[in-house]
Amino acid sequence: MDEPATLSSLNELVAAVQRGSRAALKRLYELERRRLYGVALRIARRPDVAADALQDAFVQVWQNAASFSPERGDAAAWLTAITRYRALDAVRKLGREVLSDDPTLGDRAEEPDILARLDAVLSRDALRRCLGELEDNQRRCIVLAFVEGLSHAEIARQLAAPLGSVKSWVRRGLVSLRSCLGP
Amino acid sequence: MIPIDRQELDILAGEYVAGVLDAEAAREVETSLAGNGELREMVAAWERRLHPLTRLAGEAEPPPDLWERIAGRLDASAPPASQRAPNTLALWRWSTFAAAAVAAALALYIALAPPPAGPSLVAVLHPPQGDELAWVATASGDGLRLRPVAAASPPADHAFELWAIAPNSKPQSLGVVPPQGRFDLAVPPPVVRGGTTLALSVEPKTGSPTGQPTGPVVFIGTLVAAD
Repeated sequence: MDEPATLSSLNELVAAVQRGSRAALKRLYELERRRLYGVALRIARRPDVAADALQDAFVQVWQNAASFSPERGDAAAWLTAITRYRALDAVRKLGREVLSDDPTLGDRAEEPDILARLDAVLSRDALRRCLGELEDNQRRCIVLAFVEGLSHAEIARQLAAPLGSVKSWVRRGLVSLRSCLGP
Repeated sequence: MIPIDRQELDILAGEYVAGVLDAEAAREVETSLAGNGELREMVAAWERRLHPLTRLAGEAEPPPDLWERIAGRLDASAPPASQRAPNTLALWRWSTFAAAAVAAALALYIALAPPPAGPSLVAVLHPPQGDELAWVATASGDGLRLRPVAAASPPADHAFELWAIAPNSKPQSLGVVPPQGRFDLAVPPPVVRGGTTLALSVEPKTGSPTGQPTGPVVFIGTLVAAD
């Protein structure tokens, strides 16, 4: 098992990647691959698509390492963002229908599970408290969108709710989160 | 439509990071990121705020050959921007559209530029996370010229500072870019040569207080021979 990836070691590894160290990129991959692949797989649903997204993400990390500034940033959040956007790109390009035609990857069953695990997973995070202040529908929409990569329309279908309501739940949820979490 | 109102812009940034936007709206946000420092900061803030939620995804083991596939892609490409050798524009990673746009803009720029008095270098600067051509820099016997190609403004009360980064060297400041975005340097330092990376970072209006970039690098490109 890999040693725990502490924030500073991830930041140091990204700094080494910025200096052109392929070994540092490989170490970064070894430390983060399970977490990032999990993030991509949750969004893309299909292992081949998730693997492609993670591959694109690491090529982008190598090419664009200069955009990360260790003294300001959190390397884990930066890596996650790059991976999520690549997975979201794939979902938007291929279409969710193509990706969810496998009945064993059905999403409805996951939802209560995810929301029920919020408290345990976020533990002492300010995000937990602030999500707790949201209305149920607002919280459900934002968590489903971020974790599952669902669009407005897909959330509406999944919750059997009008598209307009979903858009406004997301909006109002984001506004409340913003004022609760601050800058 | 990218809103101007600050709160609306912040909601759009949150929607983009949350992932609810459809392909067209997401692309519109991505296109605007390069030139809109405020939107860029809002997106980064939402990425930080929501990052703990990714723990809900759970972990999974990727295919065993994935690192080899990544390494293969790297072998086929150039080293990272700061290490890139001259004449490798790494066009492969640009989308066809972006590559065509760059080629057209370069051709236009070179056609309009006065005949160089010395060896001519060019760098196209784009956002580190994106393909959109945003600035073109040329260096010749007449000095260094930086021109915006797309509208790009720094966040309020900030300025872009131009840096030259030779391979394996620390960034060297070339100066603060004036608000209108046109920057000239009659006698650039020796570091302005082929293979050197040019980068624009966000700094206080009077430039970085430390002599090194303190804000995020928002545009980057490598100087290569223009012919």
